[in-house]
Amino acid sequence: MNLSRSFLAAAALALAAVAAPAHAALRVFACEPEWAALTQELGGNLVDVASATNALQDPHQIQARPSLIARMRAADLVVCTGAELEIGWLPVLLQQSGNAKVQPGQPGNFAAADYVRKLEVPTSVDRSQGDVHAAGNPHIQTDPRNIAVVAQQLAARLQQVDGAHAAQYAQQAAAFQQKWQQAMARWNTEAAPLRGLPVVSQHKAFAYLYDWLGLKEIAVLEPKPGVEPSAAHLQSVLATLKATPARMVVYSAYLDPKPSEWLSGNAGIPAVKLPFTVGGTDAAKDLVGLYDDTVTRLVAAAKTAAK
Amino acid sequence: MNWDAIDFTILGPALVAGLLVLASHVPLGMQVLDRGIVFIDLAIAQIAGLGVIAADSLGLPEHGLAVQGAALVAALLGAALLTWTERRAPAQQEALIGVLFVLAASAGLLLLAGNPHGGEHLKDLLVGQILWVGTPQLLALAAVTAVLLLALAFGWVRRVRFGFYAAFALAVTASVQLVGIYLVFTSLIVPALATLRWRGRARLWVGYAVGGLGYAIGLALSAVFDLPSGPTVVCTLAFVAVLTPYLKRSPAPVIQQAHS
Repeated sequence: MNLSRSFLAAAALALAAVAAPAHAALRVFACEPEWAALTQELGGNLVDVASATNALQDPHQIQARPSLIARMRAADLVVCTGAELEIGWLPVLLQQSGNAKVQPGQPGNFAAADYVRKLEVPTSVDRSQGDVHAAGNPHIQTDPRNIAVVAQQLAARLQQVDGAHAAQYAQQAAAFQQKWQQAMARWNTEAAPLRGLPVVSQHKAFAYLYDWLGLKEIAVLEPKPGVEPSAAHLQSVLATLKATPARMVVYSAYLDPKPSEWLSGNAGIPAVKLPFTVGGTDAAKDLVGLYDDTVTRLVAAAKTAAK
Repeated sequence: MNWDAIDFTILGPALVAGLLVLASHVPLGMQVLDRGIVFIDLAIAQIAGLGVIAADSLGLPEHGLAVQGAALVAALLGAALLTWTERRAPAQQEALIGVLFVLAASAGLLLLAGNPHGGEHLKDLLVGQILWVGTPQLLALAAVTAVLLLALAFGWVRRVRFGFYAAFALAVTASVQLVGIYLVFTSLIVPALATLRWRGRARLWVGYAVGGLGYAIGLALSAVFDLPSGPTVVCTLAFVAVLTPYLKRSPAPVIQQAHS
């Protein structure tokens, strides 16, 4: 069974982490796979990274495992999204770990969202607006420009926390930025036909992606994850689609695709599964693969919709 | 496998939380089983959750005592309702409990549709995770457990009409936030079910042993194999319980005792 295999894999990983020779690598606790991947790119063999969540988990909530506390205790650096994304579990975990180095405000605590321009920041924290994050939309990893900014800041932080290897971090960071700029130029060309296309989202998770590619979100299918939309809401979505036909409906790999499939059937537009983070789909093996796959899937859906 | 992962500073608080939950839930569970109303904990927990969402919709503060108060008041109201239905329609009590569970859950979802933060509260309340417990929560749980054990010892729970459901509301509201609904259900029902061959005080102690062993093995396995702790404990507790009846030869006829 797939599940038990992943359990075994996780157990093997935990074992490997302990059995690995203590070559004094910087121990990094990443909250999400994208930051684990980025830290690995920037740190190379100087870092020992593990991610608390995998791509098919909702990063808002995780199941408590003893290894999470143990890993947090031993961590030299914690790399998370911030912006309240992990508010349900990270503060408790930090507190439980008793690790002074990685508490908020310390150099060992890095919150990626602190360094990017955030979208959907409520102008007034009016609680009637629905499921809003006061700190803005936390899903910043769907825009590669944010990755570039965070990479720069994270590289500086790695140099600060692990000063002995500062030169090597600087070198690796420069190599990453060069690779990243080239890749972004490629994605921008490939994704050019997407500019201005109207799309529907299953959830409000892709604000940064749309901002980057110029897609227009004309409706959101499930205003709140886990709470069924009302019949009136679905009618208004279908009415919106009649007036402004969308080209596709977009959902994240970690979500149940049923709502998107429903709309796909009702409105006759393709439903597009996006990896959302590293590991979300088979092709999204690393950060470059994540955007390669995202752009490829969107462009393919735009083509079928145009036929 | 990784035996070094068994770190008592990590697993210790969780084990203490488990033992505290067992202390009150094993005796309560035996009464639940006698009354044949096994899903009452789900209903009470859901009603407590509904209370929290309702409080949030009314604009009460989001954290701390207000939330606890709302949860407990709602659970006690639910308990009062169940005491009343038990008198009016004893034969339908279990069915009514089931209906109440679904009603509370659906009413919660309806309130959530217009409430931006209620969902998080509901999750906090119903999906407690045993590894996250800290000292302040353990002290609060210990206080609640002490009150419950006193009430049980003085016989208030069995003799006072409202006693059983009130004790239940208090126990479940306190425990579900720390260990989650699955572990609460398991701690309540499984030791009671495993010890049907024993009577009286012996039954209680065997029940505690089953529960304690289940928690200890489950937490250790969750550390060794890096599995989520709550579900692991549910499985090991059930496993220990399956073996328990074989400790005693006399196959006492397992007859449902229906005295209400």
